[in-house]
Amino acid sequence: MIGALRTISDRVLGRGDSAITVPIFDGALKPNQLLEDAEIVASLDAAEDLASDDDALLVASGDAVLRLGDTGLREVARFDRQVTALCAMPDGGIAVALGGREIVVRQRAGGEHRSTGPANAPFHAANAIARMGDGRLAVTDGSLGNDCAQWAHDLLGRGTSGRLILLDAETRDAREAVRGLEYAFGACPSGDETLVSESWRHRLIAVAADGRQRVVLERLPVYPSRLAVAAGGGFWLTAFAARTQLVEFVLRENAFRRRMMREIAPEHWIAPRLRSGDTYLEPMQGAHLRTMGVLKPWAPPRSYGLVVRVSADGMPRYSLHSRVDGMNHGVVAAAEAGAFLYLLAKGPGRLLRLPLAALEKDAAA
Amino acid sequence: MTTPILELRQATKLYGGSPAIEAVDFSLAAGEIHALVGENGAGKSTLTKVMAGVVPLTSGKMLIGGKEAVPRTPLEARHLGVAMVFQENSLVPSMTVAQNLFLGQEKFYNRLRGIYIAAQQFLQSLNFDVTPTATVAQLGAAKKQMVEIARAVLHDARVIIFDEPTASLTPEEKKYFFDLMRDLKRRGVSIIFISHALEEALLISDRITVLRDGRHVVTDETRSFDRARIIQAMVGRDLSRTLYAGRKEQVRSAGRRVLTVENLRMAPMVKNNSLSVFAGQVTGVFGLVGSGRTETFKIVSGILKRDFFHGGEVVLNGRPVRYLTPAPAIRDGIAYITEDRKVEGFFETMSIARNVYMGLLAKLGGKRSLVRNKEAEAVGKKWVQTLNVRAIGQDVKVVELSGGNQQKIVIAKSLVQEPGLIIFDEPTRGVDVGAIAEIHQLIDRLADEGNAVVMISSYLPEIMARSDRILVCRQGKVVEEFSGLEATEEKIMYAAIH
Repeated sequence: MIGALRTISDRVLGRGDSAITVPIFDGALKPNQLLEDAEIVASLDAAEDLASDDDALLVASGDAVLRLGDTGLREVARFDRQVTALCAMPDGGIAVALGGREIVVRQRAGGEHRSTGPANAPFHAANAIARMGDGRLAVTDGSLGNDCAQWAHDLLGRGTSGRLILLDAETRDAREAVRGLEYAFGACPSGDETLVSESWRHRLIAVAADGRQRVVLERLPVYPSRLAVAAGGGFWLTAFAARTQLVEFVLRENAFRRRMMREIAPEHWIAPRLRSGDTYLEPMQGAHLRTMGVLKPWAPPRSYGLVVRVSADGMPRYSLHSRVDGMNHGVVAAAEAGAFLYLLAKGPGRLLRLPLAALEKDAAA
Repeated sequence: MTTPILELRQATKLYGGSPAIEAVDFSLAAGEIHALVGENGAGKSTLTKVMAGVVPLTSGKMLIGGKEAVPRTPLEARHLGVAMVFQENSLVPSMTVAQNLFLGQEKFYNRLRGIYIAAQQFLQSLNFDVTPTATVAQLGAAKKQMVEIARAVLHDARVIIFDEPTASLTPEEKKYFFDLMRDLKRRGVSIIFISHALEEALLISDRITVLRDGRHVVTDETRSFDRARIIQAMVGRDLSRTLYAGRKEQVRSAGRRVLTVENLRMAPMVKNNSLSVFAGQVTGVFGLVGSGRTETFKIVSGILKRDFFHGGEVVLNGRPVRYLTPAPAIRDGIAYITEDRKVEGFFETMSIARNVYMGLLAKLGGKRSLVRNKEAEAVGKKWVQTLNVRAIGQDVKVVELSGGNQQKIVIAKSLVQEPGLIIFDEPTRGVDVGAIAEIHQLIDRLADEGNAVVMISSYLPEIMARSDRILVCRQGKVVEEFSGLEATEEKIMYAAIH
């Protein structure tokens, strides 16, 4: 009863869970143009994930896996469904998630293992694979109710069915390490723990072997996505969209949200996007600001591009941005290969790269 | 030089047998701007209080217009043509700006509307943006200072003494104020100008007098001084290289996020403000008066309350908090060191030890129901030594200390609480150069020890020299962030104004 009254008063007063607030991009997350100014290596409409195999970069695009060489991208594998996650294996093979439903490990020699989730049930939205120190694969299954392409449905449906699954590809033994995550999207080994991005809670958690969880980073101003190990220690955290107060508001307005999902086409929902569209039907989220006495039109950002360099102890060190007026939005994957950091901006379908040495030098300055 | 309009000969003032000023000779020419500089405790305020009739001389003579004068009250001094704008606020807080301006000049029948119109016209002629109908208690420090200045100018004084008049003014307001001083000078008014900002003394004055330890050190034409010579005369040692050494060459890296402010609102001062503060860094906060920086951090500290409806969130160490009073904020490790120490910083008639002990009691709350005298003395003694407070002992009343030492007591009162987030609001306002250096060293040390330090300051060289990270506020929110390495005065001012 008291809880119900508190919920009502919180909604009226804008407190607690009903406080529609968004953290600011400051400190290590201070905006810049580094991501926007990155070199465009290739344009790929259906690219999903990146992985690095020693010095070479692998790209999952559509139902193929491509390798970046001196002459450009070359197909190295093709599957029967869309590849939704990619991981390079130590023997030169690859592990992929197909259609978000099953994990396939294809060895360099040609052998192939197919695995499903715990109790032989298929995955639903397997969106990232990471190889752990003990040889197992850490797989994040974003949602039990929505597939990979329907991530916006999961967000607006307030999904809490994300999982981290540890999979032994040899024995096909799959164990659910954590469940009830608000869209698990990205995993990465960190010592004895596995780091997992929890997108809808805007945080990064570390999961121990016994399933205990520890919050590494929280209250992020973005929706975090895949992680990649950085050669210099620590890791890269990508984020596919920035939070806005408007979306936070919609998420708390249950009746409006449900009606919007029921009656309006998904591309016109008030929800984060991987890229800003060009249609006038997009919600302009009418509002205005008076600046220097001039009334200016204003709309919150629909999409954003961000990659964060995180130290081994979980502290953000610096970040790369493509701001609201930029194009390189919806960054979902990062991988180091050779002297470069490669990034996949899914919004415009671009494979980008930045020289690692220059980034570290800028950060040190 | 013609006959001085005001002259002091061998002026000595003793407090309890100790000389505050001793055998000081001073002269002020008609239509002259005369800067009086010196460390806190050098005797500047005492010297000017003698002139303004606040305290009498113990020995020596004062001449006004060549005739010996002994004003026993400020009113008598005003009748002799000497008015003083005090460093301490002397306005009646419950009255309006207009009523304060005309206080003591009321007619038998007063029409409020008439007073307001007259006040409005007068304030506009001074280019002061103050509403005459506003109650003084509602005004910020800068606007109160403006009213004080306006009142002195209104009284048609021949000599006006300004004690730290620019400490709370924005750069634009300072420019207006300096224009006003020049205008007064053209009208033949003589001005004594006390300021710790030496650049201001060099910019505006005709002559400069330096006092040290209650004694006259030197008086000379301003053009024969430079900053280094003034400092040398003030402190007897060269501090010019240690203070405001310019842009930082190295900044501390950010530690964990200690404080997050998200979409904070407090109409009309704070508008959807968001910021973060990290451990192990000095976060400088710059903004013009009215930019909402002090109000934001007062909300964080529980001194002010955010808007009741949808007022935003304050997150301390990952936990959302909302303080309705300062006590729980203190218990959670937040220390706010006020910009207005005389009003909010200490109990002036209590001893140093008791004041510092009050800080500890605020932290302990209900856990300490009885005051322990020995503990209070020990705490006071420890902090007097730690912060190098120059006082005869910890039993001395705070009101008897100089501004710099009073500021150290305010700081000690907060640091005794062992906070994790320390917010300094104008930490060196009205503080002499020697104490400024000590306070700056303390700020650096606190950050080096891993504390999250916030330094709100209107003084750009201070922000630039001390901050690892600089946040610029404008119109109630943070509008720009700079690293201590990339910031320049131009960039910061541009962000603060445009």
